Parts: sequence; structure tokens; C-alpha cells
Amino acid sequence: MSVTSTYVGTITRILERAPETRSFFLRLPPDQAFRFTPGQFISCPLPIGGESMIRPYSLASSPGEAELEICLNRVPGGHGTAYLFGLDVGATLRFTGPWGTFTLDQAPATECVFIADGTGIAPIRPMLRRALSGPGTHPVRLHYAAPSRAHLLYADELDAAARAHAHFTFYPLLNAPLAEEIKRRYVQEDQDRSRRFFICGVGDIVPQLRDLLRRAAYERRAVQYEKW
Amino acid sequence: MAKLRVLFENGDPERIIEFDPSRAPFQHDGRAGSILDVLLANGIHLEHACGGNCACTTCHVIVKQGFTTLSEAEENELDLLDKAPGLTPISRLGCQAVIEDDVEITVLVPRFTINAA
Repeated sequence: MSVTSTYVGTITRILERAPETRSFFLRLPPDQAFRFTPGQFISCPLPIGGESMIRPYSLASSPGEAELEICLNRVPGGHGTAYLFGLDVGATLRFTGPWGTFTLDQAPATECVFIADGTGIAPIRPMLRRALSGPGTHPVRLHYAAPSRAHLLYADELDAAARAHAHFTFYPLLNAPLAEEIKRRYVQEDQDRSRRFFICGVGDIVPQLRDLLRRAAYERRAVQYEKW
Repeated sequence: MAKLRVLFENGDPERIIEFDPSRAPFQHDGRAGSILDVLLANGIHLEHACGGNCACTTCHVIVKQGFTTLSEAEENELDLLDKAPGLTPISRLGCQAVIEDDVEITVLVPRFTINAA
């Protein structure tokens, strides 16, 4: 049993953000509000093959925006993305939420390191915005790995944020090993273990980074992650 | 054959499912042979907002019998359980806990699944 309502959003815009990667913008009826914490996802029961298949999509937009944004790449053989990529503006999408405990409600009072791999940037984006909305007394960093500059989602926005916030540094990592970069910078370079990490990506890279950091004596709860 | 007895905190009548673990998966969500897999295949609704991908706690169940016979919890599941409302020492995520042998398991499905941070 759930205490969560079902929402029906209308797709107002579809944006091709990178090769095979799209953002879908959803608008709710004016009398409906959808409150969430940066990092959370919505759960969509998609009508696929005559049955309902549940697919989760992280919210890439920030709380309070007029539209909800989900950003996803086409998964080869994936039924959920195939269905969504077949939708046009004006179509509706049913969902429940918000869900998930990979969240950031306010800027941590310590150095904060975001690590995103590919479309793992989606939940990180509103978390980063929230982290940068504070007074900015501690460093905020984003390491974002993608196969090429064309696959780097929100690149202009992230570059602009780095220019606007002196305490924020953006480290795009193009077609290079992410784990080695993280190990060099946060395990080998110093003994500071007060940082907090927020990691999101698809597949084994996420637990790999989690284990790397926790085994290097970062506190377990200082290493938060979401693996898709 | 394995036997899965399902109790519901909301008062729904209990269900007993007998199945052959070696024939898993029984449907498409959660780990093959997991409690979620068995329940969904038998028409029993268990929330799984993340699609059974071990990214939320909505399939949280309390294992009243047979806890130690289930597959061992991995770190990702333990990290999520850490944030589950109503956590007990015998809690598992239905999408991850696999019934591997011909054992008897009893699970309690909590009344509500609240997954806000």
C-alpha cells in the first residue's frame, strides 16, 4: 500500500540534449503541486506489451520550477526508453513520487564532491544547484564523465556556474577513467577525510567509486550514491 | 518446492505461495527469485517505485521466518535499508532478497511505504 498520489503530466517540450539523449519536460494541471527534494525520482508505470512496467526517472529540474524535467538516453533493447522516445509533445505521462533517498536538501557544511557518470548528471544537477544556493563557504566540486564533449549534458550551464561561483569547480572528464581521477585526487593527494560525496551513474562504476572512497577511510554515510 | 507465507500489516488475508526456486525469474522486476519476483508473479502487489533496481525502499518487508536462508544482503541494499522507515533487524528489500532453496519463508508487508528522505 502506498500513501503517494498518482500524477498525470503533459509533455510540453522535448529537447535533444546529446546523441540519443533527450529531456522531457512535464507540466502538471495548475491545481496540482509536486514537491520534491533535489536528487529524487519519479516512478512511471509505462504501458508496454499489454502490461504495466515501472520505470524510474530522476528529476533533472529543481523544486519550484514550472515544469518537471527528466533526462534519459535510449537504452539498447530498453522497453522504457523506447516507449518514451516514441512520445510527442502533448502526450501524457502517469507517475508517482517523489521517491528516493539520494538527496541533498541543503549545502553540507564541508567540502562537497559530486561525481556523475553519463546521464547520472540528472539527479546531481538539482543537488548541485541547491549546494550552490548557500553562502558558499566550502568548496563544491563536480567531476562529470562522458564519452565526448557532445555527450556532456548541461555543459554550458555548468561552465557558467563555475564562472559565477568562486567556490565551485567543474571537472569534465572526457573518455578517461573516472575511478583513477577520483583515487588520485581524494585518496592519494591528501589525508583530508571530511569531504562528502554524492555519486550517480549507471552500472558498476558507482559501487566501484563507493568502495574506493569508503575503503580509504571516508565515513560510510559521507559517501552517498545512486546506481542505475 | 519453496513456501512463501505473506502477512499484511493492513489486515488483508494472508497468502501462501508454493513455487520452484530453480524456475526463476517469474516476471521482469527485481532479482530473479526475489520476494518481489515471487509476489508479483502471483498477483500480490508490493510497491517497487524504482522498478526493482535497488534504488528505493518501497519494497521493504520484514522477514518473520527464514531470514538466514535468504541470499545475503549486499552493501547497496544495506545502505538503503539504513534509510527505510520502520527498519527492523529482520528487514530486507523484497527486490533483493532471493529465495534460493526449498525453504519456508514468512514475510510481513508493512502497512505503508513512505520513502521521503
